[in-house]
Order: sequence, then C-alpha cells, then structure tokens
Amino acid sequence: MAIECLVLGAGQEVGKSCVVVTINDKKIMFDCGMHMGYLDHRRYPDFSLISKSGDFNNSLTCIVVTHFHLDHIGALPYFTEVCGYNGPIYMTYPTKALAPLMLEDYRKVMVDRRGEEEQFSYEQILECMKKVTAVDLKQTVQVDKDLQIRAYYAGHVLGAAMFYARVGDVAIVYTGDYNMTPDRHLGAAQIDKLQLDLVITESTYATTYRDSKYAREREFLKAVHKCVAGGGKVLIPTFALGRAQELCMLLDDYWERMNLKVPIYFSAGLTVQANMYYKMLINWTSQKVKDTYATRNAFDFKHVCSFDRSLINAPGPCVLFATPGMISGGFSLEVFKQWAPYEGNLVTLPGYCVAGTVGHRLMSAKTPAHINIDQDTQIDMRCQIHQLSFSPHTDAKGILDLVKFLSPKHVILVHGEKPKMATLKEKMQSEMGIQCFDPANNETVSIPSTHYVKAVASDALLQSSLSPNLKFLRKCSERGSDFGGLDARTKPRLKVFDDRMAEGILMVQRNQNIEAVHQNEVVAMLGLESHEIKFANCCPVYIANSETRNVVLSQSTVDKSFWLRLLFEKLSSKFPETSIQDCGERLQIESFSVSVCSKEICPHRTTANLQCMPETMYFCCTWSTADEKLAWEIISVIKSLSLRDK
Amino acid sequence: MEEQRLSEFHHVVSQNRTLSSKALTIALSLITNPFTSHSTLSSLLDTLILCLQNPASNDTNHHHHVISLVSASFPPPPPTSAITFSLPSTADPFADENLFLSLCFGQSVISRRFLLRNVSKFCVKPSLLLTVLLGFTKDPYPNIREVALDGLVELSNCIVVEDQSLIEGCYFRAVELLFDCEDSVRRSAVCAVSEWGRLLVASNQDQSKKEWSDTVFVQLCSMVRDMDMKLRVVAFDALGKIRMVSEDILLQTLSKKALPATKEKTYCGQLTAKLLTLPASGAAFAFVHGLEDEFHEVRRSACRSLCMLTAVSAEFASEAVNILMDMLNDDSVVVRLQALETIHFMAISDHLKVEEAHLHMFLGTLLDRSDSIRSAARNTLQSIKLQNLAMFRLGIDALMKNLEFYPQDEADLFLVIFKLGRTHGKFVGSIIREVFQELEPSFEGKLAFDNARTVALLVLAISVPVSFERKICTVPPQTFSYAVTQLGRISRGLFDVVNQNTLLAYLSHCSRFSLVSASEFFKGEEPALQLDKSDVLLCQKSNDTSEAHLTSPLLDCLANLHDRVTSCVKIVLRKISDIWRLIELGCMGEVIQTLRSWKEELSKFTSDSPQTVGVLAFALQYIQVIKLLGKVWTRIFSSRNLRYHGMGVLEVLLGKIDKILQDMWYRFIGLSKDEELHLLEIMLLSCVLRLSYLETCNFEASLKKICTISFRVENLCKEEAIELSSFILDLQKLLCEIGNSGDGVFENIYLLQKSLKCFSLRQIVLSGEIKHLEAELNVRDNNFQNPLPFISGLPVGIPFEIMLYNLTSEKRLWLTMSVDGMSTQFVFLDLHEFEGCDEIRKFTFVAPFYGTPRVTYFSLKVCIAMECLSEDVQLFKDYEDPKPELSFLCKEIEVHLSTPVN
Repeated sequence: MAIECLVLGAGQEVGKSCVVVTINDKKIMFDCGMHMGYLDHRRYPDFSLISKSGDFNNSLTCIVVTHFHLDHIGALPYFTEVCGYNGPIYMTYPTKALAPLMLEDYRKVMVDRRGEEEQFSYEQILECMKKVTAVDLKQTVQVDKDLQIRAYYAGHVLGAAMFYARVGDVAIVYTGDYNMTPDRHLGAAQIDKLQLDLVITESTYATTYRDSKYAREREFLKAVHKCVAGGGKVLIPTFALGRAQELCMLLDDYWERMNLKVPIYFSAGLTVQANMYYKMLINWTSQKVKDTYATRNAFDFKHVCSFDRSLINAPGPCVLFATPGMISGGFSLEVFKQWAPYEGNLVTLPGYCVAGTVGHRLMSAKTPAHINIDQDTQIDMRCQIHQLSFSPHTDAKGILDLVKFLSPKHVILVHGEKPKMATLKEKMQSEMGIQCFDPANNETVSIPSTHYVKAVASDALLQSSLSPNLKFLRKCSERGSDFGGLDARTKPRLKVFDDRMAEGILMVQRNQNIEAVHQNEVVAMLGLESHEIKFANCCPVYIANSETRNVVLSQSTVDKSFWLRLLFEKLSSKFPETSIQDCGERLQIESFSVSVCSKEICPHRTTANLQCMPETMYFCCTWSTADEKLAWEIISVIKSLSLRDK
Repeated sequence: MEEQRLSEFHHVVSQNRTLSSKALTIALSLITNPFTSHSTLSSLLDTLILCLQNPASNDTNHHHHVISLVSASFPPPPPTSAITFSLPSTADPFADENLFLSLCFGQSVISRRFLLRNVSKFCVKPSLLLTVLLGFTKDPYPNIREVALDGLVELSNCIVVEDQSLIEGCYFRAVELLFDCEDSVRRSAVCAVSEWGRLLVASNQDQSKKEWSDTVFVQLCSMVRDMDMKLRVVAFDALGKIRMVSEDILLQTLSKKALPATKEKTYCGQLTAKLLTLPASGAAFAFVHGLEDEFHEVRRSACRSLCMLTAVSAEFASEAVNILMDMLNDDSVVVRLQALETIHFMAISDHLKVEEAHLHMFLGTLLDRSDSIRSAARNTLQSIKLQNLAMFRLGIDALMKNLEFYPQDEADLFLVIFKLGRTHGKFVGSIIREVFQELEPSFEGKLAFDNARTVALLVLAISVPVSFERKICTVPPQTFSYAVTQLGRISRGLFDVVNQNTLLAYLSHCSRFSLVSASEFFKGEEPALQLDKSDVLLCQKSNDTSEAHLTSPLLDCLANLHDRVTSCVKIVLRKISDIWRLIELGCMGEVIQTLRSWKEELSKFTSDSPQTVGVLAFALQYIQVIKLLGKVWTRIFSSRNLRYHGMGVLEVLLGKIDKILQDMWYRFIGLSKDEELHLLEIMLLSCVLRLSYLETCNFEASLKKICTISFRVENLCKEEAIELSSFILDLQKLLCEIGNSGDGVFENIYLLQKSLKCFSLRQIVLSGEIKHLEAELNVRDNNFQNPLPFISGLPVGIPFEIMLYNLTSEKRLWLTMSVDGMSTQFVFLDLHEFEGCDEIRKFTFVAPFYGTPRVTYFSLKVCIAMECLSEDVQLFKDYEDPKPELSFLCKEIEVHLSTPVN
C-alpha cells in the first residue's frame, strides 16, 4: 500500500500549485493554479498526466482548493469548463465567495489590457463556481465512502485553509499557503495534532528566518506618523485583499490610540467590496477581530473617511489606500503622479514588485529622482519611499514548527525555490528525522503508508485490559547520580509500564480472522504446556570451625534454620533496599530462593564431583531469568561467607 | 416528587444498610435530573458516603457503583466541598488505602478518574500515592492520564521526595506526555514538567543544578509553539517560574537562528515524540513567538514571564527591551499594561538601558487613551534613567503633551516630573534655562502662571535642589517664588512626597537666595540646619516605598526653623508688589486669579496662635484692598468710556476700599511705623483717586481729607526718619501748591491725576507682632425655631455671650441692635466692668432692647462695633451715642424673638 504524489505544479518553483495524491485508488487534486509568469501552455498544469484519455471525471475523486490566489485556483475554470471535469470541488466559503472576483479581475486584465485570447469567459467562471461545494472550518466532509476531508485554518489570506484528507487508515495534510504568525486581521494557522503519514507543505521561505513582526509594524507606523505630522500625504498602494485590511487596521488602531485626526481614505473599487466580505466573514479573521466583534466590527474602520477624487489635491495631511499595489496603472498611479513631486509626502511599496512596474522602479530609486512613467511622462520624484516587508507566508521556522507539531512520517515540499527547498529538506531530515522530498514538476513520489489490520480481541484480553497493570522498572544504578553521567542519550532509570496491552498475543491462523488473545489463553488454545526456565546453583560454603561443623552436622535438622537466619542477616546488610522474605525453609528475594541443601548429591553443584564435601555447607539457589543479575550478586555474597561463627 | 423519591431511597437503604439495585436506580434518577435541588443532592450524597463507610459492604463492586454515582453528581456545583472522603472503617488505618487501591485498579474508568481527581481527600500514604499516580500516567484513557498528571503536580507541592531516580522518573514521564495527542493531557504535562523539573533542579547540586535548570527551561520552550492556546499560556507561565537559566539560552529565546553558543548543546529530554534529545536551539525565538501570539492571554503571559527572567540576566534584559518596546504598540490594553510593568520591573532591577530609538515608542504610551496605560507609563518613566539631555528633553516634552491632551492627569504628572527632575538634576538646569522666559512673568504678554505647562515646568525646576546632582544645578531662585504662587496645585501633585506646609517652607527657603543656587546655600547659610551631605542626599535610588519619606526630613527641618504662617504671609506680601506692575498693565484677570489663589492658600491655615491670627487677617485684608485697588485702577486707566460707564461701580469699589482701610487702620494694633505709613499711602491713593475721578464736585471736602491723612504722614515722619515714597512727596508738594495757588479746580484735579502716575506699590514688610482686634458674639440656643420670648412694647433683655480678642479696656465698644435695619439702638460695653485680660475676654452680657415692635415675631440684627478714635479726635466719655465712625468687630448675628403663646 502506498501514497502516490504526482506534482503537477509548484514543484521546485512558485506558481500553479497542483498536486494529485492517490491513496487507495482515490485521486485527490489539491489546488488547481496557474503560473503568472508564463503565457504559453506552461501556464497550466499538465493535466494529461492525470488521465491520458482526458476522462478526468472517472480518474479524479475530487478537487480541493485551499485559497483564492490565482496560483492556487487560476486553472480551475479552464479545467472544469474547457477540460470538462465535472466532479466535486471543495473550497471554504470565503474562497468560494472571493474566487470569482479574482478570476474575473484576472480575465479582464488579460483580455482587455493585453488583448489576449481569453482562456475562459465570465459565464464559464460562474458555471465553474456552481460545481463548488463550500466547506467550513473543521467540518468533516465525507466525499465518498472512503474519503474524508477536513479544513483547518491557515491564516495567509481570508478563507485560506489547510486540508486534511483520510482514506481508510492513511491520512495526509496538504497545507496550501499558510502563516504561522498572526497579523492584525488574520490569525495564525491552527491545526489539531493528527496521526499523519504525509504532510505536503509550502516552502516559499524555506531558508528565510524573519524577525519579529513588531519591528516591521513600528517602522511603518513611524514613517506614516512622521509624514502626516509634517503635514504630508501618504500613498499606500496595496492589493485589494489582505494587505490593505491589515495595514488599515494597524493604522486605525494607532490613530485611535494616538488620538490622530488625519483622515484615512480608501480608494473605491475592489477594496470596498473586499471590506464587505471581511465584515461578513468575521469568523475567518484573527482573534482580536473576533474579540471586539461584539462591540464593534474591526473592519468598520473608525478613521476611514469616504473619498472622492477632489480630495486628491485637498490641502492638509491624509493617508490614502489605492489599488493596484505595484503602481502598475490605475488609480494608485494617478495619485502617485500628483503626490510624488512633494518632499513631505510618502509612498509605501509592497514587499515585492514585478519588474516593469513603477513600483519596481521605485524600489531601486533614491529620492530625488526622475521616474519614467511611460515614454512620454517623466516625474520629478521628491517624496519619501518606504518599503513594506509584510508577508503572509510563514518562514522556515514556521514550517519546521508545524512539521514538528504534526510529526508526520513523511514530508513533501512544494511551492518554493529549488535550492532553498533542498536546504530545508536536509534540515528536516537531520534535525527531526523525518523523511522529506522535494519533487520537481511532473514527478511522482511514492510513499509507504500505514495499513491497519483489524483483529478480534478475545474476552479474556478485553477483561484484563480494563484493569490497570502497572510495572515499574528500575535500572540498577551503575553510575552515580550526578548529571555528568546522565548523558543526553541515557534513558531515565525509572520507567513505568502498563502491561495490559503487552499481555496480548496476536494469533494469525489460516483461514481464520486475526485474533488478539491474552497470553494465558494461548497455551490452552494451542494445546501446549507452559514451560518456565529456571536457573539453579548449589553453592558451597566452607566451615572453618570443625567443631561447630560436627555439632551442626549431627543435628542437621534442627539447625537448618540457624544457617538461614545467619544468611538472612548477612544479606540484609548487603542489600538494604531489597526486601528479603524469610519463609522458614528458604529465603525468598524476588524470584530468587535459597535453602540449605542437605542432599548428599545435588545436581546443581558445580564443583568437580557432586558429592558432599566435608566441612562445607551447601546453599541451594534457584531463580528465574528476570532476576539473573541479582541472583549472581547474592551468590557472590554467599560464597564469600565464611561460617566461623560460634 | 423529588422528596418522595428521596424518602423512598432512604427507606430502601435503611432496610439493609447497603445499596440494592433499586436504591441505585433511584439515586441515579435523582442525580441525573438537572432540576434536583442541592439540598436533595447533598442528602443523597451523605447517605451514599455512609454506605461506603459501612464495614458490612466490603464488596468493591458495590463501591464502584457508589463512587460512580458520587462522581456523576459532581459536575453541577454540589455542596460536596463539605464532604470529607474519609472512607475508612474505624479499625484498620490501611483500610482506606486498600479501598482506594482496589477502586483505582478496578475496571471502572469513571471511578478511577474520580478517585484520582480527588486524591487529596483520601488518607493515602504519599509514597504510595506517588507510585499510583505515576503508574496511571500510562493509562490508555487520556482523561486518566490528565488527572494523574494533575495529581502529580499537586503532590509535588506537599511532599519531599528524596529518591532522585523517582523524581527523574516522574519528570521524564511528564516530558513524554508533552507529546500526547490530547490537548488536555499536554497541558497538564506542561504543569507537571514545570513542577517536577523544579524538584529535580532542587535535588541537584551546583553545576548539575544549573544544567538541569537549563534542561527544564529548554524543554518548556519546545512547547510554546503548540496549537493549543491554553497550553501556550501555561507554558509561558511555567517559563516565568524558572529562576536559573544560562544567559546564552535566554538570548536564544529572542533569536530565531541558532546562536553559536547554543548550536552544539544538547540536553536530556525530548524534542518530539520520537526525538529523544533536546537541542538547545529548541528554545529559539520562544519569547518572540509568545509576544507575537494571536491571543492576548498568551502575549500577556509571555510578557509576564519575560519580566521575571530579565532579572536573571542583564544582557537578556537589554535584548528583550527591543521587543518589549514594540509590545507597547499592542492592540490589547492588558498586554500593553503588562509590557509597561515589565519595563518598570526591569528599570527598578537596574537592568534597563533605554536608547533613544526606544523612547519614541515608549513615550507614545503617555498619550494612550487608556488612563491605566498612561499612569503605568508615567510610573515607568519615573524610574527610567535617561542617558542624555536629548532623551530627557524628549521625555519632558512627552509629559507636557500628556498634560496638554489629558489635563486630568495633572496631579500624577507633577509627581512624575518632580521625581524625574530629581533623578536628572543636571539636565533640568539646562532645560529650565531654556524655558525660563516662559516662567518669568512677562510684561508684554499675559502672565501664564495658571498655564498647566508653566506649572509643570515650575515643578521640574523645584525638583533640582533635592536631586542627586545638586552641586551642578543652577535654577534661578525666583523660580521657587513663582512656584509658591501655585502652591496648592503643586502640592496636590506632590502629596505623596511632601505635604503642603513643608513644601511651602522648602520653596520659600530656596527662593530667598538670589545669585547663589539654592542647593549651594543649604550648606552654608544656617548652622542650625546642619545639612551635610548625608542629610540632603535623601533620595537613594528610587524605591517607591521609601520614596514617600525621602524629602521630608529636609523639609521638616526647614519647617521647624520658620514659622510657617508668617513666612508664607511674607512671601505673599513680597509678591504683591510684583503684582502691581501687572495691574498697571491691565492684566486684571490674571491678577485676580493669582490673588485669589493666594487668598485660598492663606485661608487654609488654621489659626493656632494669636500672632499668626493677626498676621493672617492683615494679609487677607491687604490682598483684598490690592484687588479692589487693581479693579479701580484698571477701570480708570484702561477703559476709555469711563465718563459714561462705571461711575457707580467705581464708587462702590472705592467705598469698599475706604471701609477696609479704615478697618485695617483701627483694628490692627502693633503695626510698625513702616506698616502704618504703607497703609496711609494707600489711603492717600484711594482719596486721590476718589477726588480726581469721582468727587470732582466735592473738591474742597475731599481735599481736606487728603490733607488730614497727609498730616498724619508728616506726624509719623517727625518721630522717625522714614523715607517717603515719591508719590507721597509729590503729593505733599502738590498740596502746598494747591493751597497757595488760586488755580481753578480743574487744573488742580489734573495735577492730582498726574501725581497718580508716580504711585507704585511698595513692598510691605511685616514686623510680625500684629494683633487683630476681634470679637465674637453669640446668643445661646437661639434660632428661628427657638426664639427668645418678648412682650411687644416692653423692653427685653437679651443674654449675649461675648468674646473679645486683643481689646484693651480703653476701647469704646458698642452693641448695635437694629430691627430691619431701620432704627438702631446702641448699648455701650464698658470693658472695665468685665473680667479677663486684654488678649482675651469672655463674658455674658444681658443687653436691654427697648424698641420692641408690635408684632408677634421679629428678628434683631446685633453686632459689636468699636469707635474709631484717631489721635486728632478729642477723647471724651459719652455713653449716649457712639461717634459716627464705627468699625465692626464681628459678623452680624441675628437674634430671634417672639411673643410666647399663652
């Protein structure tokens, strides 16, 4: 039994996430994204690898989409409407709500601006969305008889989820993109401790160790505050979803606390609509938003005022959020042109700007500078530039923390750059001992999976396992109790066992069900006798004083107990910790028992002849395997006895 | 129904003293019904417990049933706390143990859980209990594991375990369970690791102790990234309890990458369920993760334990401060508050090194919306040592902003400014020098003494002499006198450090010395002070509790040297001459406010000695005169339309002035020549004012009055050579001219008006021995509801209780009695007839009132008046009628009289 992982996208790269996992004949496609960097066939995952015939409906059990970013969902309309997939599709409610917006936006940009041939129409997007089943967090969905999926909160963007999938005994988690540290508007990823065979995780920042988010926030607030305090205007070009809300919340909070009265504006468009979704989907936001929700919706920004175009050149300081994020055109560019020439103003840039956008040019520019907007326009830029470094992806520590928490048997890394993934893979294998893979696109990884066999438990075993059966094992202290001796690899000396399960024995008989029975039953079941291995040694002790010996030997029956008492005292002083039972005829220490041997010939004697030697007492000892070590210690004590008393 | 079932249950039980299945069913039905009352439940429980104790029923199976019933009744809050589970039968002390064990090792999970949960209620040997609990951490049922761990935690607090391996066993078992699948088990395991880790550390010595402590710390750090919120809180709480951690490990908790110092280290523990070694790098970033957490509970807990650990290492503290400063930007108030507390703690444990970059964020909290945050921020600020002047200035600026935006914080702010100034004396000097103009009463603009900022700066300034760096500081001494004007306001703020009187004494002391800095002066000036360094270096490193008493010894010392009241009065009187300039400028609003505040200050003093009473009364009246004069002055010189408006007001004002001046002249004895001259000068001024602006028509008569006063002045000067003011000299010259020349009235008035320009208020210095003539008048048990009887038309005798202060028997006193202010009857009080000394005379005097009106009820207004006998008025004894000029010595009282009914 094995898990087959076919990586169709995001293998050793970022873009077009798509992994097809096969578990016990169930084929699940996780994400169906497109690559934004390509315009040819490489833009979509190579779906033909799933099924040569193109009969996706029969070959795929379901599609699971983690969040609404295009590199995770972009190819979905194409796959359903063009390639003809009609099976079930699962995504969270917010994703289902926001995905059409994103797809339509993208389609428009492609068709209207770049004049490309359209890959799918708006109707097709809607049609595709009709096939989607929305799921809630931690809601277990029974896709079919064998397959269960469940969504967990992933942070990252609104509605992003990690997905747990289980087929029979095999369980995996596909993380999608996630964030392990919360930001102002979204929480940190949250998942249960699960028994997993495989975790497929993103690794965008496989080698980055990001510092505290507070430093980033502080820098940002300081820059903005300084600007508005000096009467300047702040332009914050952002993507409509996520970053805008996060930053605005940060500012709104700060404004509130610092009692600032400077207006904050949102440019119209997608942002306003997105805000509406945020307000509705409060359950998907951070704890703080949820906490304050009863009194105030945190997305009802207190200091955000309505905006119209005439305010662009209104006097006085203000803060303006405008789309698009990279100042590639549209409203943010328009405002930028107006505000850039003034020294008091500030423009913030998102952490990442695509080459060719104005934002990208600004990143490398030093004020004052001349910025070419296009062939005809040049701007004399004098305003301040502040670069944001907020990211909704977790860093290497976060990935390791998640994997450590889940402790799966295997890990597959996707959605990252190849050399960095290799580093992380090494780290994971060496530090955590978890086998890790970083397949390239179109490669398949095969992973052995857990397979549980059902066994019937016998009544006796069930009965016995109800009652605790504790055992403590104390290792003999060979070393002193100082720390130096307790090397990192030493186990603690005292261990606890509950043997109720260990008493079970698995019986696999031909043509019968597998059965777990209690060990006591086995003998009867198999019709055998039980045997116990015992050790014995008859230990001679030389009696120095012959007079005593004579007396003793003549009245042997009387004084057997005398010798035993003598031995008892000796042993008690030697082994103060162990309990020694005096049973009259013999002494009992654990399973070790010793008695005076009066036989002429004893088979357990190791001396040359088994005959009774003169002037010698014999102690006959028996013990079982468990106490072997103890036994030899006692025997050495007995041997060293010299009975010269009396 | 409920009662019925209960009685049925009792009946069944009492029959055979054990629980039959029927009884069990009834009990179960009662317990499971959510509407069963508490009384029923407790009665039921009592019976069940009795059944357990019944020696006849030694069947464990039976016990199981009972126990599960008892435990089933636990979830609702029953009165079980009253129940002690002393199950044993009387004879055998081990029976309890045996029963406990047999129940524990039985098959029922519920009763096992119940027993372990209530472990402390059974009398079981701790050693046995420990073994049992340790064993049950292996139980396959997570809820048993959980309670076993909880039991271990409980046990760890109340027993002494000597066996090292047993402690290790418990500790490592708990460590194993840190990776349990159940959240609740992991949570309990964290507690257990923390507690048994503590025992483990305690049982070791020296180096291994340190190693173990680090081990426990790193082990707990590995849990801070758990997905369970409560667990993270518990983990951070546990981290805060650890008292001994290596510095490099602490530093690692703030850094995400493995530090070189910790890279190779490993400890004995578990990183995951499978990895049995614990690298030191497992602690990486632990605290930052906690501080960045989504839940404010976790952030707060992390912040709190950070607080504890900063005490361990200074270097860690200096690193931690970076992120702590960021926590001040947190959206949750509790977290911000905790962060401030942590910073405060660091400051007082001397592990805080604030840099300028931090200050921006920190000082921002002074403007926080929440009161508690601002207060905590100030509290923290006062214990921070600011490195340089720029930082100190930032701090002061922020405090000023705080004052500006939240004036309600004033009192607290003053205290903080004072303390801050005291610890940063050398910076204060340079700041005060910069802003000194703001403090000086300026003549171009308005006096800003009532401005909160100015007061705050004054507070800052006056903190210097008690600062540590006293020697370097130079604060202009006049600042201290400015501060006196705001005494009430300032002392309200500094209430914790010093009381008002002491503060005043302190301020007046400091303000006395010009040129020399006040602090310098403490040493040399008065030998009685004996202020050597040890006395003045009162303020040891700030420790809040001791701080309250810090400044007091010095100030008390000052207070004892001076009569508080007199010195206060002196200061005020000295200041008044400054006020005159403001009056000339027409800033009447400020003047009135200032004078009012002084008056308030003075009137707060309770009169304890006759001298001070006189001085106080004098000062109060003097202030009043100046105030009225000021009003007149501004009315005359500032308003253009005087001719058409305000003549009436002017008359009233001048009338009041004359009245008070006359009062002052006659009712104070023991005035020195200087003081008399001062009063005469003001009288002259008032007369000239009256003459030149009000009574121009009545020129001759008014002029005569001026001449009389001028004559008095001359008389005074004859006896002693006193330097006259230019105003008087000018006036005297003028009077001669007017007498000689035949100029018209208007020319003369013009000349008089001109002479007013010469006037400037001189400083009045009180010699001290001023006595105030005063009287108290009272009629016992007389009020509106309880009038004296009278018969209309007949005279009535009214028994007055009279107290006279400082009145010699030569003074001619009259009782004035009037009905409705119409007819006034005078009764002469011959002081020779009454006992008592001049200082105080107390007697009862029955005064007859003759003109009782023909009504059933009337009220009589009575007062004691004194004839104003000036030297030039011939003395003659007359008991008929007083001289027209009277000075009233007490407040008018009302006597109620009515005809008795039947």
